[in-house]
Amino acid sequence: MSNSSDDRAAELRQLFFESAQELLQTLNEDALRLEKTPGDSEIVRGIRRTVHTLKGDSAACGYRELSELAHEFEDVLALESGLATHSEVAEVALAAADVFEAMLESYRKGRKVKAADALRERIQKLAQQPETTKARGKKKKKSSSSLHFAWTEYEQLAIRNALTQGRTVYQISALIDPQCAMPVAGRQLVQNALQSAGEILAIRPEPGSAHNNVKVIEAAVASTLPAQQIESKCHIPSIVGKVTVDALQPVRKPKPAATDASIPANAAEVGEAPEVEIADLPDLAAPLPAVSTPSTDNILRVDAERIDSVLNLVGELIIGKSMLHQTMADFSRRFPKDALRNKFSDAMAFQSRVLNDLQRAVMKIRMVPVEQLFRRFPRVVRDVARQCGKEVELVLSGQDTDLDKSILDSLAEPLTHMVRNAISHGLETSAERSKSGKPARGTLTLDAYHHGNQVIVEVSDDGCGVDVEKVRAKAIASGLISAAEAAELSEAEILEFIFRPGFSTAEQVTEISGRGVGMDVVQSVLHRMKGSVTVESRRGEGTRFRLKLPLTLAIIKALMFTIENRLYAIPLNTVAEIARATEADVHQVDNHEVLQLRNQVLPLVRLGHAPTGPDSSHRKFFLLVTAAGDKKIGLIVDGLAGEEELVIKALDDQMVATDMVSGASILGDGRVVLILNLAAIIERVGRMRPEEAGAIVSGLLFSHGEYLSRKAAANGSTAVEV
Amino acid sequence: MSGQVRVLVVDDSALMRKLIPQILEHDEAIAVVGTAMDGNFALKKIEELRPQVITLDLEMPGLNGIDTLKAIMRKHRLPVIVVSSHTTAGASITLKALALGAFDFVAKPQEVSGHMPDIAQELISKIKAAAHSKGIAIQPVIETGARVSKTAMPGGPASRVVAIGISTGGPNALQHVLSKLPSDFPGTILIVQHMPEGFTEMFARRMDECCAIRVKEAVSGDLLLAGRALICPGNRHLKVKRLPLGEVAVLSDEARVNGHRPSVDVLFRSVAEEFGTRGIAVLMTGMGEDGAAGLGVVQKAGGMTIAQSEDSCIVFGMPKAAIERGFATRIIHLDALANTLQAQCGAREEKAARAGRD
Repeated sequence: MSNSSDDRAAELRQLFFESAQELLQTLNEDALRLEKTPGDSEIVRGIRRTVHTLKGDSAACGYRELSELAHEFEDVLALESGLATHSEVAEVALAAADVFEAMLESYRKGRKVKAADALRERIQKLAQQPETTKARGKKKKKSSSSLHFAWTEYEQLAIRNALTQGRTVYQISALIDPQCAMPVAGRQLVQNALQSAGEILAIRPEPGSAHNNVKVIEAAVASTLPAQQIESKCHIPSIVGKVTVDALQPVRKPKPAATDASIPANAAEVGEAPEVEIADLPDLAAPLPAVSTPSTDNILRVDAERIDSVLNLVGELIIGKSMLHQTMADFSRRFPKDALRNKFSDAMAFQSRVLNDLQRAVMKIRMVPVEQLFRRFPRVVRDVARQCGKEVELVLSGQDTDLDKSILDSLAEPLTHMVRNAISHGLETSAERSKSGKPARGTLTLDAYHHGNQVIVEVSDDGCGVDVEKVRAKAIASGLISAAEAAELSEAEILEFIFRPGFSTAEQVTEISGRGVGMDVVQSVLHRMKGSVTVESRRGEGTRFRLKLPLTLAIIKALMFTIENRLYAIPLNTVAEIARATEADVHQVDNHEVLQLRNQVLPLVRLGHAPTGPDSSHRKFFLLVTAAGDKKIGLIVDGLAGEEELVIKALDDQMVATDMVSGASILGDGRVVLILNLAAIIERVGRMRPEEAGAIVSGLLFSHGEYLSRKAAANGSTAVEV
Repeated sequence: MSGQVRVLVVDDSALMRKLIPQILEHDEAIAVVGTAMDGNFALKKIEELRPQVITLDLEMPGLNGIDTLKAIMRKHRLPVIVVSSHTTAGASITLKALALGAFDFVAKPQEVSGHMPDIAQELISKIKAAAHSKGIAIQPVIETGARVSKTAMPGGPASRVVAIGISTGGPNALQHVLSKLPSDFPGTILIVQHMPEGFTEMFARRMDECCAIRVKEAVSGDLLLAGRALICPGNRHLKVKRLPLGEVAVLSDEARVNGHRPSVDVLFRSVAEEFGTRGIAVLMTGMGEDGAAGLGVVQKAGGMTIAQSEDSCIVFGMPKAAIERGFATRIIHLDALANTLQAQCGAREEKAARAGRD
């Protein structure tokens, strides 16, 4: 096969894995629905269709084990009558989804697929439940002795002929001893014995056939010997085990065989073992009730990377647009009366409008509904609830909230963790709940909604809440704070400790959660995404985790400001307020700088050096009041430089060796702006003495310059003015 | 571009919507103009894209395959090739689709990496045949639903042995012929219908339900009896043998002949060899030329040879090949075939019966 067809095969496999994943998701969802409304044959049909598609697709890719298993399941599901009511169906469908998933995983990794005998057995059990299906099995049940021997029509004719001639015909079956060392030779010996007894009319296995693994020999022999004698002839020690010999009685008045009208009829009776007629099968073609199908037909699958590269180019275009505007302004200044000026600016206005649309359109491509993430949770909740022996009702809302795909993807793991946590630690067992007067069924809610330029995802439960005292004790025990400090902290502040590494209040480490890793990972993932996580909890009433996420990672609306003549930006939505103040307003408390704003004491973060010299206390500055999570802090900056949509360019670690910068962007005039990672800065600077803070920023600034020169070198362009 | 056959692929599996066009890409004469994921989309796209041939999956959500097929037949009368799965239910529904006027079917591609050329060949040639079929001469098949009663079965030896070779368009054409034969039809019939394993059993059952003669899928050792038709199972060859007590069908697993198993040539040659002048070979609608050479062998052995007429064939391939080589003694329209067989088998009944008893 040529290379291109190899590529194609790989592409097909890729497509298979993707669509199979979706099919499994659908299977899970349908199974869960079926569990809620057992006996809904419509859902069973849907499940069957899904399994059918999975079967066809996997067969096309040559994944035989998966396709065979799906085939078996599909066949069983096709026996709809009586099966739809079978409560096991949903159960087996879920198990099947798991096994299929494991198989997919093995195929993907090129590992050997494990046998799925347990599932197979369950599937077969499903089939056996309704009486009518028994006859359909591949191995027909041999009920009467006349059906025991499956002679061909010709052999039956021979037997009948012999009977009509008045001869005695024996049907003989001889079991070959499983210990027999030479079964082939044994077979020959039995055949010889039969031959000596009379005329062999029919024999299975047929002479000369290459079956090595024969367990039983069946034959019809016309003989004049009594049955007993034939039996003893066949008894060959250590080769033949059990022998049965039945004499066949001539049923009808003898007639010349060749014109015996009854033969075919009888032949049909005997040869065609009863099978359920196809008419008994459900009418698959029966029109289904109108199902609204989303117009997924025109969906194109594109590698996310390709979209990113388009987005990147759009970003470059936006920078180019700013450069043009800058040039235009210069041009206007130099040739204020030139007639070309107006034409030029019209063209540019048009171009920038299109550019805005383009940007928005590309951004939209990356947006996917949260539902894509939420849909996996019904299954997770069901399984975890079962493992914990709890009753949990999952409520989903806001599934159609759009979110950047990359954010959604990285949200999957932390969210799953939180859901598991909520069930295993948050919610109580039914008995406990009833005791405290709550409904026996716990409720877990996943909600998503837009809030300004952010998306909020909430995980809340109506369980027992976090035991603040326990957290406090644990924090002291693990040396995070002193008992004295702990006493001063509010409940909300104490709760924050659950985001510290290695912090778990669960009394026992369970398989599901509580290994002490978790909430800190959740927090770090969110920080990486420029989001935040907060927790609210009320003892006995429940816990609510609120994840705040940016709409997208690629473009942010940012507030730009200068510190020591360098340009920085922070996401606009983190800025709560902008105020002016003078150095005289800054006070030192516990080695931290604070400022009283109205009636609140606001901790400050100073990124630059504290001014020195005689007039320093009169120096004015801007104060950006930012809210990261629930904590408000003031950021001291020298000047504001306006707000702008920034296209974030990732910086690699070589350029900037600090996590305090989350990215950079280039402005229209070529200036570079660093985008600060507020959460990291607050955490780092907040713990430092004011005199150290400046040093950190110098380090930052050094990297900044370094970055620019490297960037210029890499581009080979004219050096950028900073 | 105008020379290309415009194909619409209808399947609810995203994989198949990718795979089938990819298979068809191999042939320059075929252009996949679009895909659709269910019947409603398919009907919309037919209006839009004006395809000449449609490949149709029967198991789809929304508007399912059978209803889609009905709508296509009613509104557009376009040739539809059913892409079918191998299950029992799949076979049943496929045969239903054929009865409703589907042009032909192919089994869903399996293990494409290994068998791509075979699958591609079959699908491509069927699509081409479908595109070139002049209108669709669908014989309206009446679904009586009621089983024809089969009392007073004449089970004696057959006067003559009729071997039928048939491919594309076969199921409907066969039903057309077999349903006209009376239960006391004096000949015995052996049929090789190109059809994959698993479909033939269902096909035989359907035939049995709507015909007065007895139809069953052949098993080795089945007797060749008057008023009976044996259909060769998929993926086996069908031969005949005269044994001391009677004449039987024999199945074999020999290699493919002309790319087919079952192969019409294998059956025809065997009939010629065993029955000589008692043989009647009928080559009916279908692509390719399987059976053409075999028809010549039957003719040479003194048997009667019949080719279905061009105007009554869905695909005038196999009969044409035989006619061109001069192997067809008679060329007969589908409508007249049952009568011809009746006359041929009846005329020499006495003589044949005597010959059989000798």
